Amino acid sequence: MDFAPSYTPEQEAFRKEVRSWLDDHAPVIEGDQDSPENYAKFRQLGRDLGQRGWLRPTAPVEYGGGGMGFEETVVLYEEMSRRDLSIPPYYDSGGWLGGASILVWGSDEQKQSLLPPIFKGDVVTWQLLTGPEAGSDLAGTQTDAVRDGDDYIVNGEKIYVGGSNGVDMLWTLTRTDPEGERHKNLSWFMIPADLPGITIRPMDLLGDGGEGVGSGVKNTVYFDNVRVPAERLVGGENNGWQVATTHLELEHGAGGSVSRNLWFSRALEWARARQLNGRPLVEDSDAQDRLVEIYEKTEIQRLFGIRNFWMNRTHQSMTYEGPQSSYFRKLSGLDITTALHELFGPYALTNDEITDFSEGALDAYQRSAIVALHPGGTADVQKVLMARRIGMGRSEAERYKAGKTVE
Amino acid sequence: MDLSLTDQQEMLKQAVDDFVSRDAPIETLIELQQTERGFSDEMWRTAGELGWLGMLIPEEYGGSNTGYTDAGVVFEALGKGPVPGPFFSTVLAGEIIKELGDDAQKENYLTRIANGSLIATLAMAEPDYQWGNAGVQLAPNEEGDDYILNGEKSFVYDGHAADLIITAIRTGSDDNDISLLLVDTSIPGVSARKLEGFTSSESSVTFENARVPKSALLGEVNAVAEGLHVALMRATPLLCAYKVGGAQAVFDLSVQYSRDRVQFGRPIGRFQFVQNHIVQLVIHLDSARWTTYEALWKMDTGRQTEAAIHLAKAVTSDGYRHACDYGHEVHAGTGVVREYGLTLYTRQSRSLFHALGEPRYHRRQLAKLMPTLQLDDE
Repeated sequence: MDFAPSYTPEQEAFRKEVRSWLDDHAPVIEGDQDSPENYAKFRQLGRDLGQRGWLRPTAPVEYGGGGMGFEETVVLYEEMSRRDLSIPPYYDSGGWLGGASILVWGSDEQKQSLLPPIFKGDVVTWQLLTGPEAGSDLAGTQTDAVRDGDDYIVNGEKIYVGGSNGVDMLWTLTRTDPEGERHKNLSWFMIPADLPGITIRPMDLLGDGGEGVGSGVKNTVYFDNVRVPAERLVGGENNGWQVATTHLELEHGAGGSVSRNLWFSRALEWARARQLNGRPLVEDSDAQDRLVEIYEKTEIQRLFGIRNFWMNRTHQSMTYEGPQSSYFRKLSGLDITTALHELFGPYALTNDEITDFSEGALDAYQRSAIVALHPGGTADVQKVLMARRIGMGRSEAERYKAGKTVE
Repeated sequence: MDLSLTDQQEMLKQAVDDFVSRDAPIETLIELQQTERGFSDEMWRTAGELGWLGMLIPEEYGGSNTGYTDAGVVFEALGKGPVPGPFFSTVLAGEIIKELGDDAQKENYLTRIANGSLIATLAMAEPDYQWGNAGVQLAPNEEGDDYILNGEKSFVYDGHAADLIITAIRTGSDDNDISLLLVDTSIPGVSARKLEGFTSSESSVTFENARVPKSALLGEVNAVAEGLHVALMRATPLLCAYKVGGAQAVFDLSVQYSRDRVQFGRPIGRFQFVQNHIVQLVIHLDSARWTTYEALWKMDTGRQTEAAIHLAKAVTSDGYRHACDYGHEVHAGTGVVREYGLTLYTRQSRSLFHALGEPRYHRRQLAKLMPTLQLDDE
């Protein structure tokens, strides 16, 4: 076994290349990362990464990806993570997950036309899954797409969508046969966000789900007789549930991660800097116990992430691992906020400019850990998925296989 | 990055799995559990012959020195049985002798551990139970070139079966002022009694005017704490691996039972409360598995291991215990019938919970690292 990527001299050279490239291109951010000025810097970084194929490192070069191997990709992820940057460096859920779905299910023409703008960072794409009537019961969507000549007419409403700084494309699940059999009446569309009849309105929520730069606001998206060209339907009419398995598998954590949950190192740093009774807080035995709780949760999260990353990228047969990682992250997030609250007391809750020492991070996390319980499927949905994948109460033949994943 | 087993590890795993299904099926293990010694000498001999006891011992002493992860794979497969026997106790003793022994002691004991002809264990704790050096209070009297021992060591794993007991004695006032004696259990005045109850192989070892020559000291007087710590830490992930194997077996049993057991006209695994038990079980299993194997990997590759090992032991002790609890929730009445076999694991999850320190002990050691801990990627 090898829990660390092993690096060839070529890969070490690649690391140097990435490091020095990031020295020149990583944005300098001060203040709110979602502010228009800062967000524009992250978008520019996305385009710069996209130029080199680094925005979508493992996707085929012909569609704007990097065509890179597993170990090289790890180097890139590590170097981004070292600077507290992610790939992509801003909220692009529809591009990330829709892009993967199009790679598997799109026609050649669709791959040629839809993927390069995503993989080169030219567009931002949101995913639209939840509707007022369809949350955990995703297949129960009542957003309808009705064929009309060369177009589909889309009507409906999606909620908890997107981010704070505008959008170019909407990756959307619709119902294309209201009378059809459940799971066989759905279709996916990649819809330009500027089509007539689309209205986007911000929601007033407790906080964001910690989904990265530009994810601070969630929106309601209304479709009112939106005319969408038929070539925007991806994966075949009424085949949407099959496509969803690819998308959801990645969203449920099967993609894995090689980065560390930063909350342990942050908490440790603050506990070393702050004082209690004239001594560093970290020397207090109760404080140490809280740090151990955070350490334990974040280490297990990291290990589940590494396992899934390795399984996904080396095409191992995955079953329950994605939803397990997702479930654990959601629940341990709440535990970590409790430990932070005990560790730092009421400081955990304030973002007051003078009183707060965390630049807003602690208050934001107390909220985002709660918000994060639902995106990508509630914690309960993750457990339902695990049960099916493990085959509890089901014969081997009835056991649900994981969706096809790529990259 | 590669989380798969190497070809050699796959072969080792297969060899132990084959051994378990051929020689140690669950019915056999249930019978063994009720015998006086609690394990099979024949299985012990097989383990010695197949080289499973010498995997950490240098080749010059007859071992194969193949590394910690390889040994972990073997211990996981044994734990999955769960094959009872003084496997871990003996390998732990080997690690201590490797760390602190002189050439003659290594030659004498390591060669016999490697080929399975010596059963050995460590005796630390005493009637005032506490894990760690502070709990060592047995102070010898000195008579010429001998120590005279009077007193008791408690909860000594496999003490009743051991040929050699590495006995910790108090030789000074500081917590770490302890010394180790290689006590041959055949000398007069040493007796062991297996402790009955919800235990596995714990024994009470009594010393009555037992005369042990000073030449049996392992390491120097009052200078063994560090070496003992190193050896204990190195061996700990193997005990964890044994428990991972047990938790894996409990998971497998529980999933199968969720398919086979029908109530209210449906397999019970279709009920979400039952599903939740198995969901929690597999989280404990995988947490134990990956913290354990990462610790083993760090040991094999010369990385910083202190935090990883304490974490693995805390997570795995808790994990095995909870895995069994959830397994019992799934199995209900069936699970407590002795002949079903689940309780073999449950018994070990309890008996090994505190072995080499309970979870609270290891979390406290982790806590003490917090002021200076360095993250790997810093």
